[in-house]
Amino acid sequence: MASSVAQKRLFHEYKNLSTNPPEGITAGPVSEDDMFYWEALIEGPGDTPFEGGVFAAELKFPKDYPLSPPTMKFVGGGVWHPNVYPNGTVCISILHPPGDDPNHYEHASERWSPIQSVEKILISVMSMLAEPNDESPANVEAAKMWRERRPEYEQKVRDEVRKGLGL
Amino acid sequence: MAQSFDIPDSTDWLDTPLSLLAPLENSLRCQICKDFFANPVLTSCSHTFCSLCIRRCLSNEGRCPTCRLQDQELKLRRNWIVQELVEQFQNAREPMLSLAKKEAARLANGGDDTQQPLAKKRKVGQIEQDNEPEAAESGSQRMRTRSRGVRVEMSAQVEEPQIIEDSQDDDEDFVPEDGLYPCPLECGLRMKEAAMFSHVGVCTGQKAPSPAKPQVTFRLPAINYSLLKDGQLKKKFRELGIPEWGNRSLLQRRHTEWMNLWNANCDSRNPKSKKELLKELTIWEKTQGGAQIPFASNADEIARKDFDRERWSSSHDDDFKRLIANARKKSDAQIRSTIPGASQGLKENASAPARPMETPLEKSDPVVIDSDGH
Repeated sequence: MASSVAQKRLFHEYKNLSTNPPEGITAGPVSEDDMFYWEALIEGPGDTPFEGGVFAAELKFPKDYPLSPPTMKFVGGGVWHPNVYPNGTVCISILHPPGDDPNHYEHASERWSPIQSVEKILISVMSMLAEPNDESPANVEAAKMWRERRPEYEQKVRDEVRKGLGL
Repeated sequence: MAQSFDIPDSTDWLDTPLSLLAPLENSLRCQICKDFFANPVLTSCSHTFCSLCIRRCLSNEGRCPTCRLQDQELKLRRNWIVQELVEQFQNAREPMLSLAKKEAARLANGGDDTQQPLAKKRKVGQIEQDNEPEAAESGSQRMRTRSRGVRVEMSAQVEEPQIIEDSQDDDEDFVPEDGLYPCPLECGLRMKEAAMFSHVGVCTGQKAPSPAKPQVTFRLPAINYSLLKDGQLKKKFRELGIPEWGNRSLLQRRHTEWMNLWNANCDSRNPKSKKELLKELTIWEKTQGGAQIPFASNADEIARKDFDRERWSSSHDDDFKRLIANARKKSDAQIRSTIPGASQGLKENASAPARPMETPLEKSDPVVIDSDGH
């Protein structure tokens, strides 16, 4: 079967991620028959309320990847964060194509470009967990709590993490 | 499909003593497709990409993916030295890698020098911890000794095929694999033995222009699609010899892809034929264009003579049932709106869905039941 540019590039990224994975990150296609649907596991970064948690996310790639970015969504819920929609969809600038800026605050340099990669996305998401950006919250409640009642926010995150681990 | 996962990659070097080659190989790869540069070109902002990759990016966004400065494909310039670097590295890659892997295996088995494996492991770690002076020095020393070894191995490999060639030339009974002999007057043509005598009589010894090498040198200009009506655009497609079906946006996307394929091919030292480019356009059509078939493999399967109908119908039982239920609901609604009170009778009729419109009331074609898997 003829494979597209996108598939070949995803093969490369998959091989790179599996032979040389960054710390705290695992990712790969759910089934080798469909390179456009991946699952990723991200460890909660240390010294944050997310520490100790393991968060599963799904990545969906468009057919014209890497011209367009993939979408990323935490599955199983439990990520209480200003930049994660209540349904789990991640909202960070690296996942937004440069042409479309709904919030008019993101610098073009932070946004998606074909030279970005799954690895860079996941690393960005990890640092997003540690440092929320409350300029354009995806989850307004979480953003308000993070801004105004930080201890409560951190406690809620810790509770969610423990729930996620089945404790 | 699974074999495709075993693609050459810069990480191949990581578990070998030549792990420092990983970043080198990475720099010889295009950051868009992650493959070795194919017909590398330089942007106005001095970034290098495959010709085709950057053309696709520019037609999509008009900016360099690395620094996001605006650029136009007309300003792209070939980057010959990078192409040469890539070609030479690719030639050397296999022998170097196999040597490095052999060495890694030898070291893993204890080797003759027990100190070495430890040193290797430390080396990678050290570089990450910014202990540069020591690590870099020991690394480069090791690199030097390694590369000397590699050079010996490579020159041995290069010589080998030459020796074989010589012995072939001396051999009087030598028969080429395809049965075609090269013209002794070196006009570059190859032909069957029988045709040779008449050819030699007329051959001037001049190299005939090879028909296999197409002269694809003129570039395709971009089209301002908004200036062309559908008919004019399709006429253009006919002139170009590319498929002209599909709606307006598909036509535009197809033309852009064709223009990119074509112009990137112009940057190649060994341009492909138009036929090959058309094949690549077909691949695009199947993966991103208008001919995306989600179940391509299934379609092939159904068409086969030995297609297992039983298995197919049982495995797709749910789908069929759902379709039937949907169709039944629809026809039910239809009947209710035209003949009040008729829906009751229909519910008992098992095979109505296939022709809900034509035979809404009474019994219908029993053949339809087959699709239900019975």
